[in-house]
Amino acid sequence: MSGAPAPQPVKLSLPLVYQQKLFEELRKEDELVILARGLGLMRLVTNLLHSYDAAGNNLIVVVNAQDRENAWIGESLAEHAAISMSPKARGLTVVNTDFQTVGAREKMYTGGGIFSVTSRILVVDLLTGLINPETITGLIVLHADKIVATSLEAFILRIYRQKNKVGFLKAFSDNPDPFTVGFSPLATMMRNMFLRKASLWPRFHMYVAQSLEGKKKAEVIELEVPMTDAMKTIQTAIMECVEVSIHELKKGNTGLEMGDWNLDSALLKNFDVLVRRQLDPNWHRVSWKTKQIVGDLTVLRGMLQSVLALDAVSFLQQLDTIHAAHSPPPGTTRQTQSPWLFLDAAHTIFDTAKKRVYAGTQKTTADTNIDSLRPVLEEQPKWAVLADALEEIERDLYFEPATRDDSNGTILIMCADTNTCRQLRDYLQTMHVKPRTEKRVEEFHDPDEDRPSATFMMRRRLRNYLKWKSEFAHVSATLFAENQKALRGAVDPRLAQSRGRAPPNKRRRMRGGGGGSVMGSGRMENGSVAQYFEKPNEVSDLMAEIQITEEEAKQKEDIVVDPLENMDDYYQLYDMQDLVVIHAYEGDQDEHVLEEVKPKYIIMYEPDASFIRRVEVYRSSHNDRNVRVYFLYYGNSVEEQRYLSGVRREKDAFTRLIKERASMSVVMTTDAHGVEDAQDAFLRTVNTRIAGGGRLAGAATAEPPRVVVDVREFRSSLPSLLHGRNMVIVPCMLTVGDYILSPHVCVERKSVSDLISSFRDGRLYAQCESMFAHYRSPMLLVEFDQNKSFTLEPFADLSGTAASVSADRAGEQDLQSKIVLLTLAFPRLRVIWSSSPYETAEIFERLKAQEPEPDPVAAVRAGLDKDEVVGEQAFHAEPQEMLAKVPGVTMKNISNLTLEAENIKEVANMTVAELDPMVGREAARKIHGFFNRDLLDDEE
Amino acid sequence: QALPTRSSGSSILVSPRQKGNPVLACLRSIPWEYSDIVADYGLGLTTCALFLSLKYHRLHPEYIYARIRNLQGKYNLRVLLTMVDISNHEDSLRELAKTSLVNNVTVILCWSAAEAARYLELYKSYEHANFSAIRGQQATGYAEKLVEFVTVPRAINKADAVALVSTFGSLRHAVNADPEQVSIVGGWGERKVKAWCKAVDQPFRAKK
Repeated sequence: MSGAPAPQPVKLSLPLVYQQKLFEELRKEDELVILARGLGLMRLVTNLLHSYDAAGNNLIVVVNAQDRENAWIGESLAEHAAISMSPKARGLTVVNTDFQTVGAREKMYTGGGIFSVTSRILVVDLLTGLINPETITGLIVLHADKIVATSLEAFILRIYRQKNKVGFLKAFSDNPDPFTVGFSPLATMMRNMFLRKASLWPRFHMYVAQSLEGKKKAEVIELEVPMTDAMKTIQTAIMECVEVSIHELKKGNTGLEMGDWNLDSALLKNFDVLVRRQLDPNWHRVSWKTKQIVGDLTVLRGMLQSVLALDAVSFLQQLDTIHAAHSPPPGTTRQTQSPWLFLDAAHTIFDTAKKRVYAGTQKTTADTNIDSLRPVLEEQPKWAVLADALEEIERDLYFEPATRDDSNGTILIMCADTNTCRQLRDYLQTMHVKPRTEKRVEEFHDPDEDRPSATFMMRRRLRNYLKWKSEFAHVSATLFAENQKALRGAVDPRLAQSRGRAPPNKRRRMRGGGGGSVMGSGRMENGSVAQYFEKPNEVSDLMAEIQITEEEAKQKEDIVVDPLENMDDYYQLYDMQDLVVIHAYEGDQDEHVLEEVKPKYIIMYEPDASFIRRVEVYRSSHNDRNVRVYFLYYGNSVEEQRYLSGVRREKDAFTRLIKERASMSVVMTTDAHGVEDAQDAFLRTVNTRIAGGGRLAGAATAEPPRVVVDVREFRSSLPSLLHGRNMVIVPCMLTVGDYILSPHVCVERKSVSDLISSFRDGRLYAQCESMFAHYRSPMLLVEFDQNKSFTLEPFADLSGTAASVSADRAGEQDLQSKIVLLTLAFPRLRVIWSSSPYETAEIFERLKAQEPEPDPVAAVRAGLDKDEVVGEQAFHAEPQEMLAKVPGVTMKNISNLTLEAENIKEVANMTVAELDPMVGREAARKIHGFFNRDLLDDEE
Repeated sequence: QALPTRSSGSSILVSPRQKGNPVLACLRSIPWEYSDIVADYGLGLTTCALFLSLKYHRLHPEYIYARIRNLQGKYNLRVLLTMVDISNHEDSLRELAKTSLVNNVTVILCWSAAEAARYLELYKSYEHANFSAIRGQQATGYAEKLVEFVTVPRAINKADAVALVSTFGSLRHAVNADPEQVSIVGGWGERKVKAWCKAVDQPFRAKK
């Protein structure tokens, strides 16, 4: 415990009983707190931090906080400090890569205060002694659910606990799910964090229930909205596609356990993640097709969501995009396309989605054969319900205008994301605007006369859509022209004929050109669903039909770009005195919204369990405020299912945690000295195969073994494990290699997925070249994951034909053939195979035996130009990786580019003349062309 | 049984010691013949392979060292083709890692006779191959390059890439777009917009 004085001179903002109890507990001892989502975790954390902050004279580090949380903590610490007028409070300092130098960081740490440090920086600072663990007053760990034994955070905690036995350590999580997978997960997690007490606060906890249910409850009105027939059809069709995809998966991977892959679980929020996780141990072995189907599942699940969330036009637009993106790459046949695209159900999806927007009526005149289209523009059923609810509220306000409490009388509409926000705002703004030709005044006096409708908005969207579509047709023609060409060769004549299509040899990118019906044609020559591109005259018809209102619409500005910040904006709604606020769910931030807006009415446009709790907390925290909640959901929809199963899962998770804690207490009490002997505890947890002599021998030598590690490698778990094996880790910025074991031995570590990708982009070849330029014995470490299967064998049949091993097809071969090529290219490259990071640590130890220790300075120098300054030059991986994908950028000129240009944006805006000196004429033209190719005017 | 013929350059040379090894049964796509060589398999002028089953290695740990010694520094690339046929392979593999460093052999692991045979075939058939396949110059079309570029941030997928570019017309416009403009693109949620804008704006090098 910190030496803070017992009486608290600070003012807290914890009005509810359970919050106070929890706070007292936390002040008293170190523990892991798992709080149900929505019960105000951040509020607790900030109050706790403030109580330390106000005491002053301390160094507290917040670990694992996200940007948004940093912002919140900073803000509320300042606020608290102002309220309780504590002179010693210094607020929060955020440390991330971008700004502070080593010197500045050191000065800040010695100054003390509350810091939120990115894990990667913190671990390096701890190892290099920039921040002395013994001076730390305490650690606050957020998102404790993410901390596994091999994670960076666990490494931080271990270093901290080794050197510092008295500082406090408190971990927080609001996600009980991860604590329930695996064998005695809670105990394992707590051991990772060197904590002995777990404090669980589900919604059904006694104190929580008392505080939230004791007084008047929030008034909740549930509104079940039926879906339209078209929506139902689409949902069913998508589910069918999901089912078939799952079936394909099962068929393709007979060796795997997948009994619980079925339609029911496919409804779950994270089904695709689930499948992915199940396949993960064998991910490098499954076929390309399986990977694609797993990707398809994600796409399909996204569609399930958007059919409910998006309006009909946007949904169609999204489908178009999905379809274009999933067209097969050039030179391939139907084998390589996503299987669901071949289903009738897929056809139904595209067709129905289109029918919701516009339908064709055939007007066959004598000389011309024109299909005219007319807009249908189906509205989302929730819109009308929303309008009703608003009207009801309005009436309510009218009949009892006197507000007896201090809520604002504001109406707060909550929805899932900012896109929905925008959609609802558009709808509310325009729902009483009628697209009529006769002159009409916009203001409405009698709301009952005009039913609110979205016609205006939908027509506007359709106009935009049609404009977009014609552009898109062009873009995708340019982008995917090769595909179409390639497809001409690959015709399945059976399919084409059975559907009575035009002759398959006729190239038809534009559909509907010759046939009588636009609606009927749905398939491409190879049998997959074809993209619809309407004929220009049809489009113009449709445009003409909806264009009429354009003049009238002029007075309402078409909002294309929103300059809105944070979505905390308010919209005046016609004759209501009060405000309507539309906001997206944002996790803990929603608490702020509630406190600031003080709404009297809340409309939850989409269900969200944690927000309901937030409303409960809000309601109970303020005695004098009344809240009425409208709760909208589509009946029998995926949305409803997902909500219900989410609530159930959380409850189950807590129940299991409570059970485990009950049976675990014995284990934890016998482990009383666990904190003292942190390292042993760690080793016991992670590896039971310690060779008895190995460690002793290492400890007995005068100097502990030393390994120079590239700072970028701290993203992996290996540095942590090496440290766990009593090696001294020297973090450095290395240009060549990842780990330097001795003056001659340099190791490049590759996980299997890294290996595949670095073969693909040629990175590994270049890395090997540079390793051979600077070291005598370069090594390639192929590291498998602990839980992944230790083999490279694909599930597919290996018995090769002569063609499969022929040299000229080397490029498209599997991993094995690339390894063969690499060893042929570098005969002196040693390959180490390790079944897990734990193994790697042992192998390193053995490799280092009888070898001299590496020299960090030489290691850093290796690969740098002579005139280049050795210093802290942290690179951001992502933009570099993107840059490397640009045609014309090579391993050689990329360093010039990154030195001269600031970021991608700058490179993209450079002219050929500007690029020339950096990369040369040819490459400059390529780079410039890549960014500037105009897909709208481009004629191939 | 292959008849010993005049040694031709296109077949794998197999030492008679390997008789009875199931790997031979799997060598189907490249011809092979028995030959009196110091290694187990001759895979070209400068490349040879020794075959080691971990099961055998555990019983006779000294065997492989004798074999490596017999190679007497011949061959440039000396592959130690190791079949992982026991489940507690950790100790042996640790030892082999050290051996490879000391004795200058390249360890290649395989998990079945078929895979071992495949490695042998690959080594033989790639004897004169060039290395362009692993040097990463793939000539893909503009569309794929573009999709690859946009999908580097993990949150962004292929469909998003197409939507983005088709909205802005060219990649440069997409790169220059404000977050608000990007967020109107169909399918682009807050997370994706953030990931994209960060990747595009983030400096290549962290400031000192």
